[in-house]
Amino acid sequence: MLIKESTLKIVTISVTLLLAIFILSLLSGIVTHTSLQSLLASIASKEIRFAIKLSLITSVISTLMCIAVAIPAAYALARYDFFGKTLIQTIVDLPLALPPIVAGVGLLLIFGTTSFGAWLSSSGLKFVFTPYGIIIAQFTVNISFMLLIMRSTFEGISPRYEYVAQTLGCNPVQAFLQTTLPMSKNGLIAGGIITWCKGIGEFGAALMLAGAIRMRTETLPISLYLNMSCGDLDLAMAAATIMIIISVVSLYIFELYARHTQLY
Amino acid sequence: MPGILNYTNMIRIENVSKDLGEFKLNDATLQIDEGEYFIILGPTGAGKTILIETIAGIYRPDSGRVFLDKTDVTNVLPKDRQISMVYQDYMLFPHLTVEGNIGFGLRQKKVDKSEIKAKTNEITDLLGISHLLGRYPGTLSGGEKQRIAIARAVVTEPKVLLLDEPLSALDSRTTERLSAELARIHKLMGTTTIHVTHSFEEAFALGDRIAVMCGGRIIQVGTPDEVFRRPNSKFIADFVGVANLFRGRSVVHDDISEVRIDGISVVSSTVASGDVSVSIRPEDILISKREIDSSARNSFSGEITEVKDMGGIVRTVVDVGLPFVVALTKRSYEDLRLAPGTRVCIAFKASGVHIF
Repeated sequence: MLIKESTLKIVTISVTLLLAIFILSLLSGIVTHTSLQSLLASIASKEIRFAIKLSLITSVISTLMCIAVAIPAAYALARYDFFGKTLIQTIVDLPLALPPIVAGVGLLLIFGTTSFGAWLSSSGLKFVFTPYGIIIAQFTVNISFMLLIMRSTFEGISPRYEYVAQTLGCNPVQAFLQTTLPMSKNGLIAGGIITWCKGIGEFGAALMLAGAIRMRTETLPISLYLNMSCGDLDLAMAAATIMIIISVVSLYIFELYARHTQLY
Repeated sequence: MPGILNYTNMIRIENVSKDLGEFKLNDATLQIDEGEYFIILGPTGAGKTILIETIAGIYRPDSGRVFLDKTDVTNVLPKDRQISMVYQDYMLFPHLTVEGNIGFGLRQKKVDKSEIKAKTNEITDLLGISHLLGRYPGTLSGGEKQRIAIARAVVTEPKVLLLDEPLSALDSRTTERLSAELARIHKLMGTTTIHVTHSFEEAFALGDRIAVMCGGRIIQVGTPDEVFRRPNSKFIADFVGVANLFRGRSVVHDDISEVRIDGISVVSSTVASGDVSVSIRPEDILISKREIDSSARNSFSGEITEVKDMGGIVRTVVDVGLPFVVALTKRSYEDLRLAPGTRVCIAFKASGVHIF
């Protein structure tokens, strides 16, 4: 009997191929919906330029905030044992599974109805229906993701590098900054890129807290939503196309660094 | 104030305990003299690494005190102790070049760039690793990494050098070479050194004194001879195997080594000259009441001074000028009608004499 390609191989590869075709047709449907000329004209429009700018600014700030919080929190979870660690770990992982729109409702209640929110608002930090709300919404939804990546990065680095650095004249903070942190570079870049990309696309929580206000809290996904609602397909497709480009490029960079993440 | 404190003490730890859950240290007391090459010997999980990490200041002891050069450093940060450490897996910083690694400690101390350069060159010349300065650790062999880790540790001129299983991650040839290297560096720099190992051959070859650890406790401290000839517990006797370990001076001729040990001469097929350590397994030695006529190159006569029944095996000590431990089955012990005081001959092959 001749050796034939196994059925298993043929079936599994076919399924993968169909999935790839399915995804590709979604994307090309969006990109080819309008002519290139009208697409470029839409991208150049005032509204889309506003959305691009707002998306970039909010997502960069929220990503930096995620990094600033995730580094110390991930370090604590990776290196120390403390009372209630398991419980705290579960709580900070929760946003991974929580629907963003639910997180958004929670944020709206904190900032819109409590005296804490009123106090922040009176001191100039208004989150409800403002771009600040978009930032805090992106932060809330993405922080657990960044935390997860940083924790596994730190856990992959032996604490003995820091011990050696300490015997060579570093205090514990300097030892961390000069060994574990630079050795985490790839994890940090990969996590930052994917967090940023998710921030650009954040919709549910931002919609709840910051609302969908044209030319005020209009990020790219909000712009897509608004223009679809009122039937301006050209503008909607322009917003969608830009987000597709951003995801493809981000994923490429992510893969580049994630694949080169060495464990020490 | 010599006379009140022992002025040669470099490290003194008093009743130090530390519980890390998985590993622990239990009421350890130890004194290590200035310039000493001190070995901490014990099986895996004995608490050896936690002991030296506590000396380095990585952990604060749960109880007890640590003194360095007569100063209480129990609560002093590692960076202010002047104690350097080399781990078994080197822990070279992968994001820095070899030069960056070696200069790391000096940079923390804000030493002048030109001086860092000069000191780095000096130590790398000494260790024969100057050609590696621009490389990254990821591309180096085990022996090279080990030398760089040692260079990084000693270039800061520490008061104490801690070595955690420095030879056990290497192949046996490299181990032998680096073992000699460690002895050379110690002789040259005179730094008080604490070397952790589970190999009694390493301990015997390098140690001025040895502390044996088991289950988080220090159970015997002494010179290699004391520890190996007069183990104070069954654990140590079993752990070191009561092998025949000697130090001597070897001369090579006709591809064999002749080692003079306390007036007697042992022939080995391992070729090595100079000051060496020698081991002969107790089961490789033949024993007889008459002159042994065999191909064995080593043959001595003496008197049985000690007999120990170990179950199926009997261990006898035969004094031929040196005490040799000889293992034989209970059956042959009874057939030969041996007893303490019996005059016997012993013999062993040159290939059974291991030099290290």
